[in-house]
Amino acid sequence: MGSTDVIASVKAELGRPSAMQPDKGKVAIFVDCSPTAEPTFEGRGGEELSAELSSALQHCLLGGKSGAGAGIDLSSLVVVEGKVCWDLYIDGLVISSDGNLLDALGAAIKAALSNTGIPSVHVAAEAASDEQPEVDISDEEFLQFDTSGVPVITTLTKVGKHYIVDATLEEESQMSSAVSISINRQGHICGMIKRGGVGLDPSVILDMISVANFVSRQLMDKLDSEIAAADADEDES
Amino acid sequence: MAAKPSTTTTAKATYSPIDPTRKTRPPIFSGSDVDWLRPDSRGFHQCRPAFFRTGAVNSASGSAYAEFGNTKVIVSVFGPRESKKAMMYSNIGRLNCNVSYTTFATPIRGQGSDHKDFSSMLHKALEGAIILETFPKTTVDVFALVLESGGSIRFLVKQVDELDTLWFAVGDLPVVISCASVALADAGIMMYDLVASVSVSCLGKNLLIDPVLEEESYQDGSLMIACMPSRYEVTQLTVTGEWSTPHFNEAMQLCLDASAKLGKIMRSCLKEAASDEQE
Repeated sequence: MGSTDVIASVKAELGRPSAMQPDKGKVAIFVDCSPTAEPTFEGRGGEELSAELSSALQHCLLGGKSGAGAGIDLSSLVVVEGKVCWDLYIDGLVISSDGNLLDALGAAIKAALSNTGIPSVHVAAEAASDEQPEVDISDEEFLQFDTSGVPVITTLTKVGKHYIVDATLEEESQMSSAVSISINRQGHICGMIKRGGVGLDPSVILDMISVANFVSRQLMDKLDSEIAAADADEDES
Repeated sequence: MAAKPSTTTTAKATYSPIDPTRKTRPPIFSGSDVDWLRPDSRGFHQCRPAFFRTGAVNSASGSAYAEFGNTKVIVSVFGPRESKKAMMYSNIGRLNCNVSYTTFATPIRGQGSDHKDFSSMLHKALEGAIILETFPKTTVDVFALVLESGGSIRFLVKQVDELDTLWFAVGDLPVVISCASVALADAGIMMYDLVASVSVSCLGKNLLIDPVLEEESYQDGSLMIACMPSRYEVTQLTVTGEWSTPHFNEAMQLCLDASAKLGKIMRSCLKEAASDEQE
């Protein structure tokens, strides 16, 4: 987005589902800010920002504890209930930072997920109830991940009395506070985080939500068309 | 998570100066598909009785102890103190927050959660309320210690280095935030307003205010607000789960009303402490 460049990658591994949620897979999101973006990110400098971005993304994309409202459908990741499931590791890398990292990461993750193909798994028929069943992973990619439910994150930055969308680094340095809202295709709020110190009037927040609704719809349409175009290119080559 | 914590607060052994039925709004049960009887027989829109006391720690500039049902938190404030030499000069003050759990706080011993995450959330909630210009070049330290984590816990999927995903408790945060602002007031740090914080859970179509551990595990979504009641401004806001806009409006109104009431309780506690001192 502009001068902000991020890369997102999704890796899947087989693992055990947690005892509390035996019918759901697991997803872990982690963001790394590389020093190529800013010299201050070297070593431990970027750690605080990475932690903040990771937890913000987890809030927005993985919903409430019961799993309802999660952008990513975790029950599609299960192979054998209670024993084997897919662990998705989503990694984001910030290469060039010119503001609005969260939105860029959200969009990149959505695109990465739509490109994800989970290999189909054949489970051996007999398996004792407490042993790990034998699994055979086919090499042909099979299940395309369903990303129609994945939300898109929009950050509204309040500068003075106005708020702007998609702030550059310069604009962010002047911000008094920012609200990041993740909205899915149905227009429902999937997650919201407020950053920055200054207090916000609740009516302003409601206003921001309606603006975010409008903007995210545009972003989502644009994103979907880009992803479809990229897929079409891939198929041709 | 082997054992379930006991969530009964019917024994009201804790001194609660306020009438427990803080909110008597008729609950909105439009087509309730989830019939939930709250374990401590509260109404859906009733908060737990709150108890605050300042001066818990004698050696600190200011301190407060808060008890909301089973959740017990101590916050002590040190400062303004000289900033470390390594830090750059700044003509406004700095705020340093730290939240930690005692090893006996959670039902399973030593399930100390991610401390950095709450510390940064506490920092964000408080920095909007403190007038940092009044103590340039110095730092104010806020240390929160959760003695018992009984309710209002929010869960976040967190990955540890191994491949296990553990559900960590992210909260008790509303209690910590409210207690911290009482402690800051006790320390005499200048603030725009007290910060009161409430969280709301959504179960099906019902909104539960101030959820307990059990209720949290069934929730479909949650909303935590930290706001300054007199200024009617929100300093921190965290939403998880799927919310439709009108539902969200409703939840936010609920939270704001509850935090206004909580603000009054905090104020009355501070007044009590001040008048005790004068005697």
